Amino acid sequence: MEISRIQLLKRLKSLAFVTLTFGFVGLTNFTKAQGEALFKSKCATCHQTHKNSTGPKLFQVRDKWAAGGAKEGSIFMWVNNWQNAVAADPYAAEVSKWSPTAMAAFPDLKKEDITAIFDWIDAQPDPATVTNTGGPMDPSKTEMDPAEEEGSVGWIWIVMGVIFIVVILAVGGVRRQLKIATSDNPETQEKLTYAEELRSIAWKYRLWVGLGSLVTVIAIVVTLFQSLYRINVMEEYQPSQPIAFPHDRHAGVNGIDCKYCHNSVTKSKSAGIPSVNVCMNCHKQIDGTGKPFAGEIKKIYAAAGWDLSSGAGKYTGHTKPIVWNKVHVLPDHVYFNHSQHVVVGGVDCKQCHGDMKTMNETAKVQPVSELNKIEGNVQLTKPTLTMGWCIECHGKKDVTIGNGKNAYYDEIHRRLKKDPALYKKYYKDGKVSVSELGGWECAKCHY
Amino acid sequence: MTRKYWKGLEELKETPEFIKHKEQEFPNQQTIEEFLSDDKLSETSTARRDFLKFLGFSVAAATLAACEAPVTKVVPYVNKPEDVTPGMPTWYTSTYYDGNSYASILVKTREARPIFIKGNKDFGFTKGGVNPQIVASVLGLYDGERLTKPTAGGTVASWSSIDKAVSSALKSAKSVTLLTNTVISPSMKRAIAEMSVAMNGEAGSKFQHIQYDAVSYAGMREANMSNFGARIIPSYDFSKAKTIVSVDADFLNSWLLSTEFTGQYAATRNPDAAWMSKHIQFETVMSITGSNADYRGMIKPSEQATVLAYIIKGLGGNPGVSADLSKADPSTKAAADVAIKALKKSKKESLVVSGSNNIGVQQLTNKLNNLLQAYGTTIDLSNPINLFQSEDAQVAKFVKDVVAGNGPDVLLMMDVNPVYTLPNGDAFAKGLKKIKTSVAISAYADETAALCSYVCPGFHALESWSDFEAKASEYAVSQPTIRPLGEDTASALESLLVWNGSAVRGGKDSSVAYDYIKATFAAKFPTADFAMTVHNSVMPQAIVPSTLVYADAKIAALPKAADVEVSFYQKAGIGTGAHANNPWLQELPDPITKVTWDNYVTMNPVEMKAKGFVTTYDQEHGLNLTTVKVNGKSVTLPVYPLPGQALNTIGIALGYGRGANGEKIGKAAFQTKEYGGHELNDAGNRKPIGANVYAMVTTGATFEYSAAATVGAAEGLYPIAATQIHHTVMGRHSIVRETTLGIYQNNDKEAYNPAHTLQKLDAHGNHVEAPVSEFDLWDAHPVEKIGHRWGISIDLSSCIGCGTCLIACQSENNVPVVGKDEVRRGREMHWLRIDRYFASDEEAAVGTRKDKETFSYDKAELAAENPKVVHMPLMCHHCNHAPCETVCPVAATTHSNEGLNQMAYNRCIGTRYCANNCPYKVRRFNWFNYPAYKKFTEVNPAQDDLGRMVLNPDVTVRTRGVMEKCSLCVQRIQATKLTAKKEAREIIDGEFATACSDACPTHAITVGDWNDLKSMIRSKSENNRAYQALEEVGVKPNVWYQVKVRNEENSLLTAIQSEADHASNKQHH
Repeated sequence: MEISRIQLLKRLKSLAFVTLTFGFVGLTNFTKAQGEALFKSKCATCHQTHKNSTGPKLFQVRDKWAAGGAKEGSIFMWVNNWQNAVAADPYAAEVSKWSPTAMAAFPDLKKEDITAIFDWIDAQPDPATVTNTGGPMDPSKTEMDPAEEEGSVGWIWIVMGVIFIVVILAVGGVRRQLKIATSDNPETQEKLTYAEELRSIAWKYRLWVGLGSLVTVIAIVVTLFQSLYRINVMEEYQPSQPIAFPHDRHAGVNGIDCKYCHNSVTKSKSAGIPSVNVCMNCHKQIDGTGKPFAGEIKKIYAAAGWDLSSGAGKYTGHTKPIVWNKVHVLPDHVYFNHSQHVVVGGVDCKQCHGDMKTMNETAKVQPVSELNKIEGNVQLTKPTLTMGWCIECHGKKDVTIGNGKNAYYDEIHRRLKKDPALYKKYYKDGKVSVSELGGWECAKCHY
Repeated sequence: MTRKYWKGLEELKETPEFIKHKEQEFPNQQTIEEFLSDDKLSETSTARRDFLKFLGFSVAAATLAACEAPVTKVVPYVNKPEDVTPGMPTWYTSTYYDGNSYASILVKTREARPIFIKGNKDFGFTKGGVNPQIVASVLGLYDGERLTKPTAGGTVASWSSIDKAVSSALKSAKSVTLLTNTVISPSMKRAIAEMSVAMNGEAGSKFQHIQYDAVSYAGMREANMSNFGARIIPSYDFSKAKTIVSVDADFLNSWLLSTEFTGQYAATRNPDAAWMSKHIQFETVMSITGSNADYRGMIKPSEQATVLAYIIKGLGGNPGVSADLSKADPSTKAAADVAIKALKKSKKESLVVSGSNNIGVQQLTNKLNNLLQAYGTTIDLSNPINLFQSEDAQVAKFVKDVVAGNGPDVLLMMDVNPVYTLPNGDAFAKGLKKIKTSVAISAYADETAALCSYVCPGFHALESWSDFEAKASEYAVSQPTIRPLGEDTASALESLLVWNGSAVRGGKDSSVAYDYIKATFAAKFPTADFAMTVHNSVMPQAIVPSTLVYADAKIAALPKAADVEVSFYQKAGIGTGAHANNPWLQELPDPITKVTWDNYVTMNPVEMKAKGFVTTYDQEHGLNLTTVKVNGKSVTLPVYPLPGQALNTIGIALGYGRGANGEKIGKAAFQTKEYGGHELNDAGNRKPIGANVYAMVTTGATFEYSAAATVGAAEGLYPIAATQIHHTVMGRHSIVRETTLGIYQNNDKEAYNPAHTLQKLDAHGNHVEAPVSEFDLWDAHPVEKIGHRWGISIDLSSCIGCGTCLIACQSENNVPVVGKDEVRRGREMHWLRIDRYFASDEEAAVGTRKDKETFSYDKAELAAENPKVVHMPLMCHHCNHAPCETVCPVAATTHSNEGLNQMAYNRCIGTRYCANNCPYKVRRFNWFNYPAYKKFTEVNPAQDDLGRMVLNPDVTVRTRGVMEKCSLCVQRIQATKLTAKKEAREIIDGEFATACSDACPTHAITVGDWNDLKSMIRSKSENNRAYQALEEVGVKPNVWYQVKVRNEENSLLTAIQSEADHASNKQHH
């Protein structure tokens, strides 16, 4: 069937209309989510919604500017590059005196983006008036350590076992005494010692005793090996820390990206414990006055040499590095590179460290069972931080090669194709795993 | 000329010891019977059952201890510097100058600790050239005996008190002398000039600056003074020289600017280039340079002038001195005739250099170069070298005054050690004590500083700012790479400025020196950016074309001949002795003798036999000691049989015998006992290694490094630790291949590099030759098509055997130092060794015996007087069919799909089967816990907290009982791959470099991904000169060698190799 030009145009029009409608509906939802995402990625390191931090609080900041007599649109100019705004608007110049710390420029944020951010901020309730769902960190809270708990359960079993054995022996002894007492034969009284009697009983029930011994021996050997295999397994390892640092508050409630503090994770083999100056970016403002954790923040000030006595606070120059206790310790003969996994492998921090957003105590090595509960994690069976755990993941995780996104892997893909048999073998399960590219080889991690 | 190659005289002669040990990888293992029959064993109080109890207990205790996870501390920065990322290296450009070597370098730091030094290939005229001393100098930074605080009269003092005392002494003094090594720093020169102006005014004579180098080049400067009217040393360009004639100049090791010359020289040694240089060497002691020569003449030191005169005469000139070579060794005349022929052909594209410090010899050299018109082509008078400005006459007068008690009121000394390096150091020491105020700016309380009233510790080169002008054409800067380690040290420049009253002390983080250097720079280059110059480390300077013209001058007095002459030379590792406390350099096998940790007298074995010296030695049997007397001074040293040593001459290396009075110059500079601790002499002082022969240097118009000597009779035996007789090649001569340029250019590959074949039966049951690759015991590893396949190619034509790669490997891979006693037992740990093969006349070349039937080692001995030498670096070959992998019972050594033979230390249980099965003998076993056992406390830097800082954190430190070997720098492979992956790009060829290839000053080592079809390694491995060592074994290594090509006439080799070519052609057609 042939359609006329007008018909075609009409159809196109309706198509466009439908697309636009759906697009718009999608857009409103999208902007909300986008506002939040943008706030967390661009602003949250310095700004909070309802509280001043490195930067001023942003709740209803547009109204504030309007009330202060700012020119129309200068706030957008400010976000793009505050210096331009200062030049154009006296109010902005006033705002620039708020803090000596200059704001970063965000030239890539469009007006819609900035509006989305502000819309999202203004829609946020004041956390001071609502109950905190995350739960603030309370260092005085005494919660029983799961490992300790399990340990005490073990002790109960041992004690009960000992009591049980004592009871059996006692009952047996009483029974024997009774037997001897009731016996008519005086010879039995003299000849059969306790041991001899046991022996004769054992002989009588030799099948059961034999089987029992066998089971016991096997059980002991199995237990021994299992306990040997647990040596140096770091699961549940949770050393004490000089500062009770709550990850849930920083990464969870405040939504600070892991990479903001552990910023060498994309560059180096070590993710890096944040240096004190990174803490001070925010904690210059957040001193925790009146909060139970104020003492912990004071420790940061002591380390940074930050003197609050003079009001606004200043650096004294007397610094004292914080000595942390390392949680995720790998032996010296293992080479592990964070940037390899995070940047190249695209592995999320959660895969190995668990969901730090919910961790309201000092960091610990999450057992593999906990890690497996996290959505999107590769499911593993071996204990966390053991070699078995590493290579299990290397066997399961796939490497995207030959998709034109990484020229290095494209070249590897091209070379692999030269060996069709091997290529077929690798792609049998529809993917190329890390191990197939050599991730199980000794000298990939040991040198 | 026919020759054969052998690893040592032991192999040459097949001594009973050699034959006994040659089958063993680890010699002299005690048998169980021997062990049990040991009397001492029964004396021990521990019974066998007790021992088992202890064993059981310790196992249980260790198990229990292991259950407790240790708490690891982690201390982040308070304020992280912007350019430091923990876990990532930071590289700094810098410049190295220690008064003897100069190079533009790159310093690798990790968490702000310098851990590796390599040459800077992008900037600086040295173009990446370095020597072992420069690479090893990073270890010197962490020496525990470096001074940390200034002292006055032997007790710790404050800078303020010293500054006050020195300043007032300078003011009140009538005469002040500043004695330094050659100052090439424009800033330091400016400070000294300011000092001179402040004290002398316009024409005073109160202040005097004398430059004094440990090894003088004054002869050259004086000769140029007489011929050109300028006391300069011109630049030399070996890369333009088609004929190189060197008369005792070891320009590939120690002579002048060897870091620049090695690269230039190697560029002319490429047989595939348009032309290849012809190198003729005349020398007394077999040197690195001599070992690489195409022709080599053995001369006595006094014959240097005669050789030059003979050549001048041969070219039609009038030498004005005797040109009679009839008394010289026959090899000399032959080589001189070759030289004349070659020089006639290449004319001004020639270069003649002389290592003598005699003015007359240097004048003859000038004359010859002028005759050839080399000035303007290979020699550049307009770009003089500023190194080695020592004026011997001035020094001699000053020393005479001091000895006579007429020294200056104040003597400032900086980076000099005259008590050790002067011929009359003892007398100088006595005179030094009489000087009112003596100040030493020194890193150590060394022989000289220990006697001074004030000792002011300076910074290590890696801790300080400095600037340089090694050549007129280039200004260079060095920058600090670490905050000064010493508690209370100060920059030498700052000290001078403070004493001169033009600056105030700035404390540990002082910027006085920095500001001063920056000001010098600003005055020199008003428009240039200092930061950019620091980034590049160099800044080119305009040079004025020279107007100097050669004029004949009267030849100064020449060295006198004597019955026996001694030549003093510098070794690759120890040099002038400034690095004697560096255990890496002490353990670096000498490139020619392969002896570690010792000084010795070199003598030709032919002569030694005649004189009754033993010429063979091994682990248990040492070499004879003898007493050498020169000018009434004597030293007692072992005599080492060195083929190629001129007859009636001996050689002794300078730089040994440091710390003779037990001065604190670093613990590795002294002899150690078998089970740890230092050997002490009668006075209770630590015993120095070797003997100081600076005392024997001849003092004439200049210091001359040769003399008449008498050699005593053979005395008792002295143990020698050499790596030479270990790791034998079992007489399998498919290891080194050599040809001449003529054969290489005119014949097929079959002539000089024939393929290995084996016989097999064809389909018809006939025996046919088939290539080795067809015979396989194992399944192929899938490394040829997929992923990477890392490989190494080593060009034996370019390799000069300098040992820089070995030190770089040691530095990169945390290779332990094991000390003399363990090296003697064949337990050195170097992952890379450089085999040195001497040739003899019994073979035309390796594997091409002149006559297989009549070949005899005994006959070869006589012909070994002046052998040719091949250097061959050998590391793990990463065989694709590795024999070590198949014998490991625990799969600790396995193959990676990238072609690497990987070693998992934690799996290794130490059976050593792998080492036994390795055809290349490159595996090393950790017999001890080197980082902890007391035996190695004095030698292994990993045993103290400071020395440990040099360790590369990316490489595991191995413990006792595991095997180790070259990993092909797998940590660098992984890092290169990771960078490429992160940047989403392919690996660029040349991006990956191993420590050895990175450090090689001659670019002899090429590494790369063989699976990359366009890579350098691929083309090298496929060219006509490529072969694999022991290819017939069928292990399919990933290491290739390039046939050594010598630019010489070798009729016998030509005949044999051409015949082989014809034979193969016949078979093919």
